[in-house]
Amino acid sequence: MELAHVLNGLRDPMGVPFYPWFFQVLMVLTFALHIIFVNLAIGGTFMAFYEHYKKGEYNKKLSGFLARSSTVNLSAAVVLGVAPLLFVQVIYDPFWYVSTVLSAWWAVGFLIFVTVAFLALYAFYLKRKGEAMKGFGFFGVASFVLLLLAAFVMNLISVQFLEPEKWKAWYLTGTMMNTSGTTIYDFRISRYLHYIVASFAITGVFMMLYGWFFSKREDMDKDYLHWVASSGAKLALWSTVVAMIVGVWWLLSVPSKLNFVSNPFLIIGVLLGVVFLIVLILAQKEPEKYAMWSALFAFVAVLGMSTAREVLRMVYLGKFNYSIYTYKLNLNLGSTALFLLTFIMGIIVMAYPLAVAWKLGRYGKTNEEGA
Amino acid sequence: MYPLFEWHGVGNGMLMAIIATYHILPCHLATGAFWITYFMERKAYQENDMDMLDFLKKYSLLVLIFCFVTGSLTGAGIWYAATVISPRAISGLIHNYVWGWATEWVFFLIEIVTIYTYYYTFEKISPKAHMRIGLIYAMSAWFSMVIITGILGFMLTPGKWVQTGGFFDGFFNPSYWPQLFVRTAFMFVVGGAYAAIVASFMKNPDVKEKAMKVAAKWGLGGLVVGGVFTIWYFAKIPAVSRTIIFNDLGFTQTMFKIAIVAGVLLFIYFVIWGLKRARTASPITAIIAMLILFVGICAGETMREMARRPYLIPHYMLSNQMIDHDMKAKGVTSEVAKFDKTGVLPAYYFAPDSVKKINESNFMAAGRILTKLECISCHTLETSGFLSIPRLMVGFGAKTPSEVHDFLDALGDYDYMPPFVGTETEKRAMAAYIASLVDPNQKIDPAWVVAGK
Repeated sequence: MELAHVLNGLRDPMGVPFYPWFFQVLMVLTFALHIIFVNLAIGGTFMAFYEHYKKGEYNKKLSGFLARSSTVNLSAAVVLGVAPLLFVQVIYDPFWYVSTVLSAWWAVGFLIFVTVAFLALYAFYLKRKGEAMKGFGFFGVASFVLLLLAAFVMNLISVQFLEPEKWKAWYLTGTMMNTSGTTIYDFRISRYLHYIVASFAITGVFMMLYGWFFSKREDMDKDYLHWVASSGAKLALWSTVVAMIVGVWWLLSVPSKLNFVSNPFLIIGVLLGVVFLIVLILAQKEPEKYAMWSALFAFVAVLGMSTAREVLRMVYLGKFNYSIYTYKLNLNLGSTALFLLTFIMGIIVMAYPLAVAWKLGRYGKTNEEGA
Repeated sequence: MYPLFEWHGVGNGMLMAIIATYHILPCHLATGAFWITYFMERKAYQENDMDMLDFLKKYSLLVLIFCFVTGSLTGAGIWYAATVISPRAISGLIHNYVWGWATEWVFFLIEIVTIYTYYYTFEKISPKAHMRIGLIYAMSAWFSMVIITGILGFMLTPGKWVQTGGFFDGFFNPSYWPQLFVRTAFMFVVGGAYAAIVASFMKNPDVKEKAMKVAAKWGLGGLVVGGVFTIWYFAKIPAVSRTIIFNDLGFTQTMFKIAIVAGVLLFIYFVIWGLKRARTASPITAIIAMLILFVGICAGETMREMARRPYLIPHYMLSNQMIDHDMKAKGVTSEVAKFDKTGVLPAYYFAPDSVKKINESNFMAAGRILTKLECISCHTLETSGFLSIPRLMVGFGAKTPSEVHDFLDALGDYDYMPPFVGTETEKRAMAAYIASLVDPNQKIDPAWVVAGK
C-alpha cells in the first residue's frame, strides 16, 4: 500500500466540522500561548530553586515570587495546552495517534510527570520559608527535573509524528507487534534544547515585567525591583543568544532536501527572533522601560516561530502527499458558532477578574467596586 | 486502524478505570465546592465572622491544588488513556464534538483566571467583588458540566445523531436533560459534603452549628432531588442498557447496590451530624462521608460506562474500534460488512505483510494479531489481569479451537459483546490462537484453520 493512501485512510471517516485552515490557525495561536507558559513554568521553576540556594535577601524574595508565579504559570500552561492538543487531533489525527500509541506509556507518563511536578512545586512554594526549610529546595529541583522529562515526552511524540515512513518497521519485528508502549523510537535533542533554553529568555522577560509592574507600589522596595528587572534583562539576552546558536544546530538536523533554509516562514521567524534580541540589547540599561516592549516582541517572535514550525510540518508531510486541506469536510456551522460566541463571551467575562487582579497588583488597592 | 497498545497482565481497561475513577473526585468537587463557598462567604461577611473567612481561604487553596490541578491533569489523563487504548474512538468523538470541547475549554480558561484571582485577592478587595469572582468560578465550572454532559450522554443515547450526524442532535440527546439534572443535584451534594468538612474544623461551636446546618440542607436537598432525577434518567436510557445493568452483569448490579447504600448512608450522615448533632460533628466523620459519596459516584459512573457496551460510539463504532453501521449523513460506510467479506488483516496496514493471507504456517501469528485487534481494548491475553480471555474461556468451557470457534460465532448474542469481525478463515485463526492460550500443549490442526475441515 502506498503511504499517502494509508495516511489518508487513517483519517477520521466522518471528516472535520469546519475548514481545516481554521483549526490550523487556532492550533498555531494556542500553541504559541501554551509554549510561552510552558517556558515560564520551566524557567521559573529553575530560577526559583536557583535563587533559593543563593545567599542574599533579594534572592530569597525573588525565589518566593518565582515559586508562587510558577504554580500559576504551570496551571495556565496545562489549560492552554488543551486547545492545541484538541486541534492537532482534528487535522493531524493519523500522525498524532500513531506516535502517541507507539510510546503509550510515555504519553501517560507525561501526565504523571506534570502532576507530580505540580505537587512538588506547591510543596516547595508553601514550605520553603525559613532556614530550617532549606531542604525543601529539593522539591523545587524535583519539580524542574520532572518538567524537563514531560517536555522530553512531547519532543519524542512530535518527532515520531513526522516519520510515517518508519512507523511500520518500528512497530513490527517479524510477525511480532511491539504493543508495549515503552519504546522511544526517535527524538531530536537540538530541537529539545532550543525550547528549554528559550524558557530562560522568556523567564528573563517575565522578571523584567515584574520589576516594571510593581514599580508604582509604595510598599515595594525599589532597589529590589530594579535588581530583579536587570537580572531578568541579562538572563533574557544571554539565553536568547544561546537559543539562537542551538537553533542553528537544530536547523542543520533538518534534511537539506526539504529546502527549509530558504523557506520565507523560517526567515521571518528568524528575523523576528533577531528583532527580539535587539530590543533586549536596548533594554539592558533601563529594563523597566523596555519590559512591555520586550514582552510584546517575545510574543511576536514565539508566534512567528510557531508558524514556521507548522510550515515545516507541512513540508515534512508534503513528502508523503499529505495535506490537511484535503480533509473531508462535513460542515457544521451551528457548533462552530457555539464555540466562537462562547469564546467572545469568555474574553469579556475574564476581563473582569483580570482587571481586578491587575489594579490590585499594580497599585496595591482597588476602588469600592473592586475594579 | 492504528497500532495497538497493551498493558500486559493487567489490562487496558484498568488504565482507564484508574485515571477515570480518580478524576471523579476532583472534577465533582471543583464544580460543587464553590457554590457552597460562595454562600458561606456571603454569610461570613453578613455576620462579620473572621474565623469562617480564614477557613474558606484555607479550603480554597485545597480546592485549587487538589481539584483544579489534579482535576485538570487527570481530565487530560482520560483523554490520553483513551488515545492509547482506542484512538479511533477518541478521534470519532473529537471529529464530531471538537467545538463542544473547545467551548468547554473556554470555561476552563474562565475557571483558571477566576480561581487564582479569588484565592489571591482574599480580604484584599471589596467583599462584593470577591464574592462576584467566586460566583463566576462556580458558574463557569457548572457550564463546563453542561457541555461535557452533552458528550457523555451522547456516548450512551445518541438520539437523532445516528441519522443526521448533527452536533446538536447528539448533544441534546434523550438522556441529556435527566443526566444534567442528576449531575447538578449531586453537585450540591458534593458541595454540601465539602462544606461539612470545612464546618467540622471550625472552633466556634455556634458558627460550626450554623455551617453544618447549611451544608446538611444542601446535601439532603441534592440527594432527594438527585434520586428522583436518577429514576427519570434510567427511564430514558435504552432498554438494552437497562438489561445489561440490571440483568446481564453481576458487576453492575453490585455497583447499583453500592450506589444506593452510599446514598442512604450519606442521608443518615446529613440528618444526624448536620441537623441533629451539628456541634459534635468531627472532621473524621466528615471526611468519611465524603469518601462514601465518592464511592457512590464511582459506582454510578461505572454503571453508565458498562451500559455503553458493546459500543464506544453508539450505533457507529464497536468497542473493538470497528464501524458497524453506515453513517450516511457523513458519508461513512460500515467496515464490519466489508471486513466480513474481505478480511480484517488485508485492511490493517500495521499487520506484517506475511500474515495478510492465512496459510498453514502463519495462522498462529495471524490469530494473535486478530485477537489483539479485536479484544485487548477490554480483555487481557494473559491469565492474570482484567477480563482475562483464557480464564473466561475456561469458564465458558471453550478449550479446543472448534469450541472457541463456536463461542466466537455466538458472541453477538451477548448484549454487551461486539460480534467477531472478519472472514471465516480469520475466525478459525483467532479460535486456534485463543485455544492455544487456554492450553498451550494441545495439538491444533492447520488444515482445519485454513480449509475449515
